[in-house]
Amino acid sequence: MMRGIHQNFDQQQAPAFFARGPSPLARLSFFTALSLALMATDSRLQYLSGVRENLMTLLHPLQIVANAPSDLYHFTDEYFSTHHHLLNENARLKKQALMQDIALQRLTILNLENTNLRNLLEAKQSLLETSTLAEVIHVGRDAFTKKIIVNRGKNHNVVTGAAAVDAKGVIGQVTRTYPSSSEITLITDKSLAIPIQIERNGLRAIAFGKGRDNTLDLPYLPANVDIRRGDKLVTSGIDGVYPAGLAVATVTEMRTTQDSPFAHIVCVPAGGIENNRQILLVSIPQAELETVNETVVSEKSKPVSSSTAAKPVTTNTANEKPAQEPPLPSEKTTQKTTEKPAPKPLANDGHRPHAQQ
Amino acid sequence: MLFPWSGLALTLRPDFMLLVILFWLLRAPNQCSVGTAWFMGLWIDLASGGIFGQYALAYTITTFFAVIYQRRLVLFSSTQQLVYVFSLLFLSQLILLILKTFAGKEFLGWSYFLPSITGVLLWKLAVTFGLNTGRHAHGN
Repeated sequence: MMRGIHQNFDQQQAPAFFARGPSPLARLSFFTALSLALMATDSRLQYLSGVRENLMTLLHPLQIVANAPSDLYHFTDEYFSTHHHLLNENARLKKQALMQDIALQRLTILNLENTNLRNLLEAKQSLLETSTLAEVIHVGRDAFTKKIIVNRGKNHNVVTGAAAVDAKGVIGQVTRTYPSSSEITLITDKSLAIPIQIERNGLRAIAFGKGRDNTLDLPYLPANVDIRRGDKLVTSGIDGVYPAGLAVATVTEMRTTQDSPFAHIVCVPAGGIENNRQILLVSIPQAELETVNETVVSEKSKPVSSSTAAKPVTTNTANEKPAQEPPLPSEKTTQKTTEKPAPKPLANDGHRPHAQQ
Repeated sequence: MLFPWSGLALTLRPDFMLLVILFWLLRAPNQCSVGTAWFMGLWIDLASGGIFGQYALAYTITTFFAVIYQRRLVLFSSTQQLVYVFSLLFLSQLILLILKTFAGKEFLGWSYFLPSITGVLLWKLAVTFGLNTGRHAHGN
């Protein structure tokens, strides 16, 4: 018995004056100071983004190794899936493909028609967005921010600001890109805002993540706003970051109180925020930003009558009327010229306003 | 149990990294120290996309308390050790909470501290299945 205790002590009680290095307290103060310095540098100055990128490249193989067991599980699971199950799935997919084919045909015709109409109006063409399929490789430890890491990055032409979408709707935005992975901030994160539109009445607003409970908030809307429970929110696309018309959320709660001039609106995201392994990263080509700027420039030089055509955002009937009228009396023209700079700030919204991190 | 974590599992997910660090601190105190914890914390910061140094600082302070009590800790009974491990896990979460509060984040509710409990349960499970956590029972 005594021998056992002595063995333990021999192993651990090395004389304090050699082979122990600096005292724990010295180490504590050194590393605490180092951490604080790092935190200050990283949050206030932008020096460490390059370092982060390089370290992330080092970390990537580790993440792949860490994911290997689960990948193996999914692989074997797929391999041993039963004949019956596969047949069922095949039949279902065939049916789905058929139905979607029909919808797609209609969509093609509509697209063509839309293009022609836009040509007639001399409005800017909506460009086709590019998309990349990515898979979640890591869910961040941090409970305070909602971030996930996916396995596609700069090498796969993923750009910062791209929208992350699953089959049901938007789930987030790419906020950082590394060579072979990228970081997605989910729409439920408190720092992420997303411009939306109510599908029913076209009302525009901005939705903010709540940071907890996986819900979204629609703040700063007046108490008498026309939003009901069950309303669907889709992306408005006026920010030039998200493609228009993607499902975002459904309103689950709309409450007004006597003591607040604002409505209290809570929405639940449409996409499977934390459920999917596969995510589609959709980005609007950079070319569109340039064309937006071009239209602004050409508008300034163009006569008054065409200025309404490129004003998709403020389509008031009052504004459209003068465009169809023959040459106007002078006082009305001055009124129009004061309105002319209006499209400019709207078009400038194309510069990713909320892509900042 | 498999990646990716979601829903309730994400709330309950224990801090594996800190558990591993604490284990090695008790098991091999000459190979593993405050510096190791700081370094591993830095990797966690990197992987979770947060500001550099948050986890590093939390791990540094936590392991400091593990190191100064290490000699006594290996003599503790199993239950005493569990309580101590729990308080260490709790401490690391508390430090993170304080750091995040400074950064303007708000408290997520008491479920935020659940990973400490699942962490200590995992520790208990590991000890039950015969993992030697550096504790030496007298008379063995």
